[in-house]
Amino acid sequence: MSCRLLMIIILLCSIPPVAAGQDGEKPRDQQLDELRREVIQLRQEIAGLRTQLPLGDSTQSGELDQLEERLERRAEQLENKIDAVSRSVAPIAFNPKMVTAVNFAARSDNKEVIDPSPNQSVISNRPFLRTVEVELSSAVDPYASAFAVISLENQANKDFGIDAEEAYGLIKRLPVLESAPLGLKMKIGKYRASIGVDNKIHIHDLPWTTRPLIVSRYLGTDHGEFFESGFNPVGVDFDFYLPNPFPGTTFEMNADVVRAGDIAISNASLATSTLSPVAVRQPAYIGHLNLSKDWSNVHLLNIGASIYDEEGDYATRAYGVDLTYKWAPAEERESHSIVAGGEALMIDHINDALDRIHPYGWFGYLQYQTSYWLYLGARYDWIEESGDAGVVTRNIGLYASYYTTEFLRFRFGYEHRQSDIASQDNLNTIIFDLNLVFGSHPTEPYWVNR
Amino acid sequence: MKKSLKIIALVLAALTAQQTNAQNKKLKIITTLSYLQYVTQEVGGDKVDAVALANPKQDPHYVTPTPRMNQLATDADLFIENGLSLDMWAKNVVEASGNPSIQPGSPGHLVATINVPVKELPTEVSRSWGDIHPQGNPHIWLDPFNVRIIAGNIAERLKQLDPGNRDYFQKRFDDYKATLDAAMFGEELIKALGKSGGDILTRKAKNNELIDWLKGRKLEAKLGGWMKKAERLNGMKIMSYHKTYIYFADRFNLQIAGELEEKPGIPPPPQHRDAVVEQIKREGIKVILNDNFYSREAADYVASRTGAKVVITYVDVGAVEAVDSYEKLITYLIEEIDQASS
Repeated sequence: MSCRLLMIIILLCSIPPVAAGQDGEKPRDQQLDELRREVIQLRQEIAGLRTQLPLGDSTQSGELDQLEERLERRAEQLENKIDAVSRSVAPIAFNPKMVTAVNFAARSDNKEVIDPSPNQSVISNRPFLRTVEVELSSAVDPYASAFAVISLENQANKDFGIDAEEAYGLIKRLPVLESAPLGLKMKIGKYRASIGVDNKIHIHDLPWTTRPLIVSRYLGTDHGEFFESGFNPVGVDFDFYLPNPFPGTTFEMNADVVRAGDIAISNASLATSTLSPVAVRQPAYIGHLNLSKDWSNVHLLNIGASIYDEEGDYATRAYGVDLTYKWAPAEERESHSIVAGGEALMIDHINDALDRIHPYGWFGYLQYQTSYWLYLGARYDWIEESGDAGVVTRNIGLYASYYTTEFLRFRFGYEHRQSDIASQDNLNTIIFDLNLVFGSHPTEPYWVNR
Repeated sequence: MKKSLKIIALVLAALTAQQTNAQNKKLKIITTLSYLQYVTQEVGGDKVDAVALANPKQDPHYVTPTPRMNQLATDADLFIENGLSLDMWAKNVVEASGNPSIQPGSPGHLVATINVPVKELPTEVSRSWGDIHPQGNPHIWLDPFNVRIIAGNIAERLKQLDPGNRDYFQKRFDDYKATLDAAMFGEELIKALGKSGGDILTRKAKNNELIDWLKGRKLEAKLGGWMKKAERLNGMKIMSYHKTYIYFADRFNLQIAGELEEKPGIPPPPQHRDAVVEQIKREGIKVILNDNFYSREAADYVASRTGAKVVITYVDVGAVEAVDSYEKLITYLIEEIDQASS
């Protein structure tokens, strides 16, 4: 009997290791099925041997137990191998992860609204496919990963423009510097800059149906403030942690060197008219300092300060502060949360009349999640026009977001605007907004929980 | 000359002290979930400092990666995640940490469940099926046999990262495995079977041969631990909010009759709740398990129409004092279900 068991052990040990693509003639699934059948058959043989054992034969029984143990261990190893091979990574995994985000918006206004961009098109009372973003991301090699957002953007009701909204490499280490100090990461390419918090968020992740005015008017928009806005320069970003000034807090710094002249408030736009092109001195610098503290992942507080500095004959600077507070309880977290925050930006630049002026603006918001599905919120914007600090616009918006999942979001917004600009004064707008996110996007917390 | 000797002596002393410090340096380990922290600390003993990122009361699917977490990971020697697409937020932390030692593929990154047999491995995946896990059901730690494997994975990785303490980690692992085996089968039975008793019983239980095997050896009366406690639950049908208890139920012979969620990760729509009410009435189900982090609204609705009892359960170590160890967590789950059904 022991001989038969030893034969089984030899047979088990002689089974070659399982590896993907090992046998060119048999498909992997077939090999796995054969191994599974073999494991089952060996177990049956062990059970058969057990039944043949004479009752009360403790010596042989003990011997059989030991041998059976060895067989079982080998069988377990084989099963684990089968399981590991079943879950092995197929070469297709080298393809980048791809996500598509579609943003559709329709608006209804009480008066005609003309987009201020060069298109000068009427945008009131009509639907828009605002953006289609295709996000691609992948590891490049052990030292870097890459990320690109190719965006198809509505140009204020005049065709679509293709834009690399973001495209950058994230360098985590280099062969010459295997371990970067202070958790340093380097981003090189085009990316949404760390000026405040909102500017870093893509349009489909916004909690509102429109961008805050300080982002669209001070930082930039190609196609009008109802469409995609923000400052996404070409440059290098260094992201690192500073020693904590207070216990339990995290101090994170972003320091960027970017191409000057791309931000809306820059005087570069004047270079082609009244100023010579050399008036803008390259490069520009961005700094963002963020102090954060979280309490058991229930309360999270972020306080940030930003600066943009562009030197030259007509230097441009922006100073900003931002604050975000999030509350999401540990239990029933998916059903309730509160987010409150705000940002302010003060500008120091030359306007079209070549006067140095200091307009500023701010927004504040509050959002409450009433259930898994529904978020309610309000946002207030106050801004001085970048070209004339004496011209003020105020905007109050009320929002309701209905999420089926994080991949499908419906938003309804009402905005009332009062402005020293006559065409914008007493403007009432109702906006419906739909966001679809599909592809290999991982399950992510709602943006408020990020 | 004397001065030179003094300097050499000082340098040698400093170097020796540095070497001693390096030898005494604990491995800094970050885990995503608290049960991983607990097991890591059990295996690593005083040679490791393990910290869990997630609040154990929180839904492990939805944890907010914060700057604090990112910074904690910047100088970690080892980052341990559950994997199987449960703690996918770990990727954000690892990436934001900028720590090259813990990037996926490095020795400092461990997916703890790498060789654990997975259930509900889908052959196809689609978002239309809800928050489905492409690599199978990830709630793997609620089967103590899987934690045995996970502890082994952790021990192997600790040995690799700190080879000077190989023997120490092996002994700690053996001791922890013995603790788990005693908790599972009872100390008396383990003692009766000797050194490899835990391994034998584990394999017998995995093959559903345990009771027959014990009967054959007249050891049935010595069975204790969770297996004994769970005998009262044998074959009991339960309803759960989410597919959290698949592994637990299989190990302790419970039957999961269904879930309140129609699709994983999405709260149940009203028509599905009503269908569950009918099923519970039809099948005489007495217990609804509702993880503490999910809303109990649907469970209460169903319970109020069926008389089934809602048990709010904790599923990670340290969520409350009663489950401050993995062993207590499993005991707690068995006892809660037992009490609710009686």
